[in-house]
Amino acid sequence: MIKQDHITITINGKRYKFSVGDGYGEVPPNETLADTLRNRLGLTGTKISCNEGACGCCTVIVDGKDAVASCMALTVEFDGREVLTVEGLEDPVKGLDPIQQAFIDEYAFQCGYCTPGIIMVAKALFINNEHPTPEQIQEALSGNYCRCISQYTVLRALNKLAGNEDAELANIVRANDEIENPIPVRQVLHLSPYANGSSSSHSID
Amino acid sequence: MSEKNYGEKKFEYNYRDIVQPNYRHIGKYMPRKEAKDIVTGKATFLDDYSVPDMIYGKIKRSPWPHADIVSIDTSKAEALEGVRAVITHKNMPQKWGLGLPVQRLLLEPRVYHVGDLVALVAADTPEIAEEACELIEVEYHQLQPVYSADEALAEGAPQLYERFPGNHVDNGIKYFQPDGPWWQIIRGDCEQGFKEAKYIAEDKIEFNQMPVPGAPETPSVIARFDGIQPDCVHKDGVPNFTIWASSQSAHIMKLMAEGRIPNSNVNIKTFNVGGSYGNKQSMMTAALSASMLAMATKKPVKLVLTKEEQLMAYEVRLGSTMYAKVGMDEDGIVTTVEGKWLVDTGAVGDSVQGQVGVGLGEAQLVLAKCKNWYMDSEIAVTNRQQAGIVRGYGGQELNSCLERLLCAPMKAGNFNPLEVFKKNYISPGDCFTWRDGRNWKSRSSFFFPEAMQKAADLFGWDKKWVGWNKPYWVSEDGRKARGVGMGVIGNADISEDNTEAIVRIIPDLVGKRASRVVIETDITESGMGTRSNACKIAAEVLNVPVERVIITEPGSQYNPSNYGLCGSRGVITTGKAIANAAMEAKKKILERGAIYFKRNVDQLDTKDFMVYVRDNPEMQVPMFKIWDKEMSVVGYGKHLEMFDVPSCVSLFVDVEVDLETGHTEILDLATGTDIGQIIDAKACEMQLEGGWGSACIDTATFEENVLDKQTGRIMTSNMIDYKWRTFNEFKPFNAYVMESQIDSFMFKALGVGEVSGAAGASATLMAISNAIGADVKEYPATPAVVLKAMDKI
Repeated sequence: MIKQDHITITINGKRYKFSVGDGYGEVPPNETLADTLRNRLGLTGTKISCNEGACGCCTVIVDGKDAVASCMALTVEFDGREVLTVEGLEDPVKGLDPIQQAFIDEYAFQCGYCTPGIIMVAKALFINNEHPTPEQIQEALSGNYCRCISQYTVLRALNKLAGNEDAELANIVRANDEIENPIPVRQVLHLSPYANGSSSSHSID
Repeated sequence: MSEKNYGEKKFEYNYRDIVQPNYRHIGKYMPRKEAKDIVTGKATFLDDYSVPDMIYGKIKRSPWPHADIVSIDTSKAEALEGVRAVITHKNMPQKWGLGLPVQRLLLEPRVYHVGDLVALVAADTPEIAEEACELIEVEYHQLQPVYSADEALAEGAPQLYERFPGNHVDNGIKYFQPDGPWWQIIRGDCEQGFKEAKYIAEDKIEFNQMPVPGAPETPSVIARFDGIQPDCVHKDGVPNFTIWASSQSAHIMKLMAEGRIPNSNVNIKTFNVGGSYGNKQSMMTAALSASMLAMATKKPVKLVLTKEEQLMAYEVRLGSTMYAKVGMDEDGIVTTVEGKWLVDTGAVGDSVQGQVGVGLGEAQLVLAKCKNWYMDSEIAVTNRQQAGIVRGYGGQELNSCLERLLCAPMKAGNFNPLEVFKKNYISPGDCFTWRDGRNWKSRSSFFFPEAMQKAADLFGWDKKWVGWNKPYWVSEDGRKARGVGMGVIGNADISEDNTEAIVRIIPDLVGKRASRVVIETDITESGMGTRSNACKIAAEVLNVPVERVIITEPGSQYNPSNYGLCGSRGVITTGKAIANAAMEAKKKILERGAIYFKRNVDQLDTKDFMVYVRDNPEMQVPMFKIWDKEMSVVGYGKHLEMFDVPSCVSLFVDVEVDLETGHTEILDLATGTDIGQIIDAKACEMQLEGGWGSACIDTATFEENVLDKQTGRIMTSNMIDYKWRTFNEFKPFNAYVMESQIDSFMFKALGVGEVSGAAGASATLMAISNAIGADVKEYPATPAVVLKAMDKI
């Protein structure tokens, strides 16, 4: 291996030059990419959970296509490469990535600790395949741990994005939906024109 | 339709007749307040947070299950550059205890389980701290270990603590049972009950694999010693600490920490919690270790457990063994339960008496028509890792034994279990003793049996149930067989623990904008959406947009008291306190409105920060035109503990078993419940689906902590060897949800999260037994267990 005294990595579109070594502030050769992202750059959206590549919480996208477990990868190996983390998904002009928006719309998370990893794996899948089948989505996420059980809503969100409208694993039947003309206790309320502002005698203007 | 007899009079309850409210916010899905932060990676969890001048803690842990520390040499560790403190049992600055009641010290000259604390190290980096741990030289003298409640309670068993003669943990404690310890259901006449019974069965069932709830974020804390403050009571002063924690309840952590650190005042702050499932509450070993290091070094100490430490040495589910004899009459009503429940709390007993109380309480909910009981319980300490609180709170551990045991009399009478559960489950007016040792009468739903039936219909139970130990389908080659099973469980903890809140309607100082509502209460967020639902409840009462309601940062110091997210009670009890507080604020502003409009208070209402006359909405005035300039309208509300609205969840499991390999696969799952009023539709869905997680349903087939009895070590202390259900193994899930407006609080909701998967393990064993045509009574039903049941090995 050729010894280098520095490496350059592009992270979320920004170039970072790191000195390699054991001195203060330098990146030691045994530092993982997850630690560099979290501890040096403050990109704490990438989570470390199992720290052995089994749970997917630390997933980032490398060179615009590959999902990589950053807790199992050494930072020095990424010289000259591009890394995308969950913080880099939102476009400052266009707004949230469609996957992020779908996760909000479908409430595809609970505690949210594993969510960045799941989103990054899903992003890598959609980069490589715009219309994955429901099976391909489930398979792609099989290395992602979620213990709160948001799997059904995650799959719903991603299947909608992939155009698999009919793919639905969970079916929640609400008794009230089956009742014709339920007895309501009060009239439907309409949003008031005052919802977003009202002035009073205390107003400065 | 449900029926109930009150003396001569017969009432019929039709779900159709329930008045359904039409809320502005309640019941609808609303993205959580922190939703955008979570999907963009901005949400802060404990390990994402730092305190100035912070150093790092690590724990030197025991490799042996039970041993005396003969000698310990820390000189090499202390000499390592960057090491700030090394604490062992020899140089502890103060003697802090562990357990409830206190049974041992944080560090002792003896270790009681693999992973027990031997030394604490603080250093400038986590790597130096880890290296220092390795440099500590320890010589042990091994002692005989004991690994189950059965063994530990037997005569002549190795003894753990002087505080617990015979390894027997105190049956009850005042905190959980204020009127005196309660640990037995003794009622009626068992002898008579067995005479009335037509079918009697006796058996022993174990649920002892002590599986791991497995929150993705490990238990972690930052502790800072804030010095000793002069005090009017304690002449030596009061030690002050600030602890930032990945705990789901700042209140519980404060309660426990102040009980362990003498005369202390502890300020707990919490963040987003990366999963807990009841399991990250007091986190005493981590919190006390970091606090002791902080006290010794006078620097803030961050202690983040590794995944291996979490799996090997942190709190798991209780071990549970039940010996019982059950009698059932010719109609399928359970007439008698006689037996003993042995509980293994591992090496530290902490809150276990509450869990035993809840377990015994839940048994009575499932068998509410049974008049004759003698159910004893005993708690033992053993040399396994500490058992702690996990979603299900004693109930799941008991249910997994009791309902598997119930299969025997049901089978003897050839009953359809659906009919038996429907008949035996608690209905309004039935009485039970809860974990506080007091007697309660249910005033919960009439529709639990109907919810069970509807879920069964959704599942296709009537087609798939073909009798006991009979598969409903066998493949043509005879290699695979399918069977179904079911279970029912409920919990009365949804209104436990006192809670208070303040709601302030704050004026807009500049004007031309709407005002805001601030909720002051101490509630954190561990995934259930409780903080957002709290905002929704205040918005509904005051009739304002939810985005205009904000809630204070969680923390014990500056908020009114809130017991936190334990017992799946957060939305109900916090919601009740907030609803009451919002009502008080509303009443105050309406009283001003009454003077302004010269009308009675009853004729007025509020909407979007206006007060208006109900019959003539044109007559309206901004709240702050009639309130004191720039002042808030403040309301206070509280909830006081009670246990009279039990929940109910039924679960149906369809399995396919490979008869040659013994491998079991769950094909689909259905659940039914009456949940009162849904507060958030999608959150409710995920509470029900959550039964797949946190060591619930899959403890029946593959989830277990594998103990090597030769060494006392857990062989599954990593996420490759500990088996968990992956995304591609999720199966169809059906739920039937009724909303019968149960009288719990203003918004009539009932929590189900505590027990949504808790009946799944016993249901799965029933299903496997039916598929293979032989009784399976062992958890987990691995291929070896299944093949053994079939006499194939």
